[in-house]
Amino acid sequence: MQWVVATASFLASAVEFVEAFTIVLVIGVTVNWRSALLGALAAAATLALLVATLGTALVQWVPIDVLRLVIGILLLLFGLKWLKNAILRYAGLKARHDEEAIYEQTRTELRARGETDASSSRFDLFGFLLSYKSVLLEGLEVAFIVITFGVSAATSTVSRSSGIASSAFGALLAGLLVILVGALVRVPLAKVPENTLKYVVGIMLTTFGTFWTGEAFSVEWPLSDAFLLILATIYLCAAFLLIAWLKRVKAGAIANQPVPASAQTQEVNP
Amino acid sequence: MKVIKAIYNFIVGDMVILVGVTLAVIVLALINNIAVLAPLKSFSGPFLVIAVLGSLVATLSREAFSFHR
Repeated sequence: MQWVVATASFLASAVEFVEAFTIVLVIGVTVNWRSALLGALAAAATLALLVATLGTALVQWVPIDVLRLVIGILLLLFGLKWLKNAILRYAGLKARHDEEAIYEQTRTELRARGETDASSSRFDLFGFLLSYKSVLLEGLEVAFIVITFGVSAATSTVSRSSGIASSAFGALLAGLLVILVGALVRVPLAKVPENTLKYVVGIMLTTFGTFWTGEAFSVEWPLSDAFLLILATIYLCAAFLLIAWLKRVKAGAIANQPVPASAQTQEVNP
Repeated sequence: MKVIKAIYNFIVGDMVILVGVTLAVIVLALINNIAVLAPLKSFSGPFLVIAVLGSLVATLSREAFSFHR
């Protein structure tokens, strides 16, 4: 078991599972549980088919150096996107990803369509498709994470299948944990600090992406695999500095905003 | 076109990051494959880290600038 890969996969997958679970929950509560669960199960089956086909093809047919390069670049793109959004949210330049708000918005949309008879067990195509689409999209991101982390973790001593198994274990654990917590508390998991999770995962994806892209170009990192920790520290420090800088930019922009005419009059004639 | 846009949004969704990472990879490929540039090989690692940070700073600057306006 490769614990670094399993942990990275666990954290990244947990974010996606929380998002998917919130949508399925709201469809279950608002439309009906039958359509919501059938949609989620159909999406899970589609995903299993995709991963089984693509995962096996990747493991058997593609050379490791080519995989490292492609996956390193993909992780860099993915990681930088997550890190950018998390930094913007911490700096207050972007609204925080709020599961409670998503829950309420989806619920309002469904109510507007008249889909409020949650006690009915009648199969509802709209609820089914909405659940299917949401789980498939979020699940695709999980599958992407599992395959990329798993395959890239392969070394001379560890096979690609073992890497994928470790990565899949992390994702499976995250999925079970999210379903268990969600079933117990029956709320849209708003308490999970999603932005913090995305921030950490953004740092991890960017770190692994840089490391593996470098390895694909025969870069010899000092201290070998231990350099991953140094890379993560560099990106963490840079992210802290960028958040502080963006907060200053935001404060400056607010301070420079023109004062409304009514407020100016009040200041002159108190 | 819709499919390409969906894939682009799924993987990156940010042109500055895409251009930054692509340029870094092209430069690394040149250093790795052109004999004249071989002496620069030992700088490949630091270059990649700086390029990644540069892309992040560039895309955040664009966001900050658009907020400022």
